[in-house]
Amino acid sequence: MKSWQFDSEFTSRLSERLHREYRLFGPLTGKDGVCRLALLSREDALPEAKLPFIPLKKMLLPPRETLWTGDNLRCESPSDELPYALVGIPPCDLYALEYLDRVFQDDALYLQRRENLMVVGGGCASSQACFRPDTSKRPSFDLFLGDEYVWTGSSEGEKLLSELAGCKRTEEDVPFPETMGEGTDMPGVEDLEGLFNRSSDWELWQRVAERCLSCGACSAVCPTCYCYDVVDEALPGREVVRRREWDNCFFRSHALVAGGHNFRPGRKERLRFRFEHKMLGFGALRGVPSCVGCGRCNTACPVDSDISKVLAALVEEDAS
Amino acid sequence: MSIDFKPMPAEIENIDRTVEDNHLFRFRLDKAMPTEPGQFAELSLAGIGAFPVSSAAWDGDERTFHACIRRTGRVTDALYGFSEGDRVGIRGPFGNGFPLESFAGRNVLLMAGGLGMAPLRSLLHYLLHQRNRKGEITLLYGSREPSSLLFRHELEVLAKQKRIRLRFSVDFATELPWSEGGAVCKVGLVPELLEDVGDPEPHTVAAVCGPPVLYACVLEELAQLGIDPDAVFANLERRMKCGVGQCCHCVTGGTYLCTQGPVFSLSELRAMPGAI
Repeated sequence: MKSWQFDSEFTSRLSERLHREYRLFGPLTGKDGVCRLALLSREDALPEAKLPFIPLKKMLLPPRETLWTGDNLRCESPSDELPYALVGIPPCDLYALEYLDRVFQDDALYLQRRENLMVVGGGCASSQACFRPDTSKRPSFDLFLGDEYVWTGSSEGEKLLSELAGCKRTEEDVPFPETMGEGTDMPGVEDLEGLFNRSSDWELWQRVAERCLSCGACSAVCPTCYCYDVVDEALPGREVVRRREWDNCFFRSHALVAGGHNFRPGRKERLRFRFEHKMLGFGALRGVPSCVGCGRCNTACPVDSDISKVLAALVEEDAS
Repeated sequence: MSIDFKPMPAEIENIDRTVEDNHLFRFRLDKAMPTEPGQFAELSLAGIGAFPVSSAAWDGDERTFHACIRRTGRVTDALYGFSEGDRVGIRGPFGNGFPLESFAGRNVLLMAGGLGMAPLRSLLHYLLHQRNRKGEITLLYGSREPSSLLFRHELEVLAKQKRIRLRFSVDFATELPWSEGGAVCKVGLVPELLEDVGDPEPHTVAAVCGPPVLYACVLEELAQLGIDPDAVFANLERRMKCGVGQCCHCVTGGTYLCTQGPVFSLSELRAMPGAI
């Protein structure tokens, strides 16, 4: 990670440079007060880092994505898209991006987008909703824009800055800023796996599940919820398209199998399933929490459930 | 290698319609797809959908895939309208399959319930294919009724040739028990067949496949009968949509069944809450 000092003209030059090579998306707050990742025009100034309501997974794993078109005998992958840049990405979403990179490291469509992606991060404004898991590692990015300094995290980022007037390498690397917001800390748990398993029939889960509407809003806005369904559609003519579409582990159909058996029939099982994914991780990433502490799920939940409070309650009940 | 989800073309070479709504399909693949017993593939009908299905036979031919497919949903229903010569798509093979080295030279106990016979048939074929194989093979197989017993003729021939010891059970029947062609059938549940065949000797390896209720009642019982929990294997099945550890539908106890399974030992399953 290298630091560079920049002058007052730098950000507009950076913006211009990025626009030349990429389609730019950044967090813009609309008139409705909702912040979204939106296409930026050349006239827009580079936006400050902010948390869009729907996170950047929508760019790398679109809600409906074509896997191929054709038929069983001849399938065409979607063609390349224009390279794009994401600017104004707050640290928690950078951590989320790193997580998705690990899950989709072999996925051709994801990699195609990811390889051409330029990521420009920025420090976040603290929000009331967020909490922070342990993030002792710095997030990954191409550029990270501070008030006075810009940090490079990749050779692409370095190449871009070296060609740009108005910034120069600092003689000594300036320490990376403390980027996390002022949210509450996640309670530390020594053996969360054990606690999670031990607690399976605790009344606590039932209480949370009784409030839960199983609406799936928390998963929809979660930057590291990536599960999907695979859906076919026959187009007019002979062509068919196979897509993957965002799914949601709160939906009854998620663990339904042929013949009608459901492995997670109740809200409690589904709630625990999501908690397990967020706090413990699945598969090769077991032990790596996928929760990055952005707090979107708290904001989105219609019944005011809070995953960090569930964790805290578990720890408390375990102690008593 | 990167994953692009494009299926490989395959042709339906043969459909064995012996058992109603449980037809056995043989697919001829355009390219080799070496599949081990216990592995599965995603069968694809373009424009309709795809579903995961276990390999139901083993013949060493890398360009065929056998699947016993129950007509139970939208896509399988559509498949039943297909005939020999029609083309489908296939992706695979996925999953770990049975740890075949664990079965070498040991007595083998296979327990199947319903459609669970299909993946175990693949394992059985493999075991019978091993030349000079040592160790006895016992198959306990339960089904709803006599007419829904899969591969009945094939299994009875094997029993007659004394290549396997075979016991059937059925939930309902009008004329039973019968005992012909070396095969015995009784009315009852599969676990009850265990009493018939005597306690397994200690070095036995067991493989179980069937509906969730079978696992709940039989796996621990096998351990109690003295079989090493590392040598009791079960094949778990869920609605795997991707097969590559992404879509999360099959996750059980934090484990992707599609890539880390679907075959697990009882020791492993004990550490996977919700698996049995």
